[in-house]
Amino acid sequence: MKVTIKEWNAVAAWRWDMPDDDVCGICRNPYDSTCSKCKYPGDDCPLLLGECNHSFHMHCIFSWLRQDAAQEKCPMCRQPFKSKNQEAGATEAETPATNADTSPM
Amino acid sequence: MSSNRARRIAKELAEIQNDKLSQITAEPAGAGDDLTHLRGSFPGPPDTPYEGGTYHVDIKIASDYPFRPPNMRFETKIWHPNVSSVTGAICLDTLSTQWSPVLTIKSALISLQSLLSTPEPKDPQDHEVASMLIRNPSEFEHVAREWAVKYAGAPKREVAEGSGGATAESLRKKSQDAKANEAKVALAAYHGYNKDLVDRFVAMGFDVEAVVSAFEYVGIDRNGGEDYELEEAYMGDITARLFGEA
Repeated sequence: MKVTIKEWNAVAAWRWDMPDDDVCGICRNPYDSTCSKCKYPGDDCPLLLGECNHSFHMHCIFSWLRQDAAQEKCPMCRQPFKSKNQEAGATEAETPATNADTSPM
Repeated sequence: MSSNRARRIAKELAEIQNDKLSQITAEPAGAGDDLTHLRGSFPGPPDTPYEGGTYHVDIKIASDYPFRPPNMRFETKIWHPNVSSVTGAICLDTLSTQWSPVLTIKSALISLQSLLSTPEPKDPQDHEVASMLIRNPSEFEHVAREWAVKYAGAPKREVAEGSGGATAESLRKKSQDAKANEAKVALAAYHGYNKDLVDRFVAMGFDVEAVVSAFEYVGIDRNGGEDYELEEAYMGDITARLFGEA
């Protein structure tokens, strides 16, 4: 018997490369979900990994870093928060945490 | 914006409810589902005057929570240097400058619980309490316990000695021991001479040590520690010695 495929629909799923049950420490939503302000997960509401290896929804960590009380420190370890700079460019222009390139370690 | 905050708070409250082990509670303060005004509680930590008491905390959540700390205040009156004994206001860095958005209502309540175990009188909220803790720790402990019984529902029996709590009984014994010890040290200075015998010379304005050494120099009989009338000649020798004439 010969089967001819006339049509097919591809379905794909994605997820961030993060431990399964982890949530963003700031909004307490899963990494694969969005921050509290966004509707669609993914590129519109990306994650940001710090040099200290702590990660948050980008919108969440930026909201925090905008506070005076934050003193630009990571909420987890209180080290100065610097983005690990993997996908730099677009995000960096609008962030207060742009000192990543000023102090090479 | 506020619904995002509500979502996180609701999640936190559910998490607190699921955790029976810590004995920490938090729920809306009012009858409605207003999640910006909560009421939390935690048990007083063991080995402190607060052991056995339950402490209620009034919690107000700012509109930009979790970027600003929850505003917490003791509802239960408490005698502690970092809590106002009048208003219940709290002096704790994690609830002000050291707040971080990854902290939660539960973690804040746990911080308060541990604040009760580690009072910090050098950075006080209530100066009266702090200075009592510095000047007279046993009185502090006594009052703190009294307040725990009166306001926090701690059991009336005093905390057992072994668990580090001071009791009225143990405090009395301690001060008695201290007094007895003091008296022993004082008596030792008399080198076995009768106290009244020596004190008659001390009354002239000499110190005990000088009188006793004069007694020994002259060779006065100890008479087994009993008081007795010294002969005139010996009296003369002793005063002469004391005035540095011999």
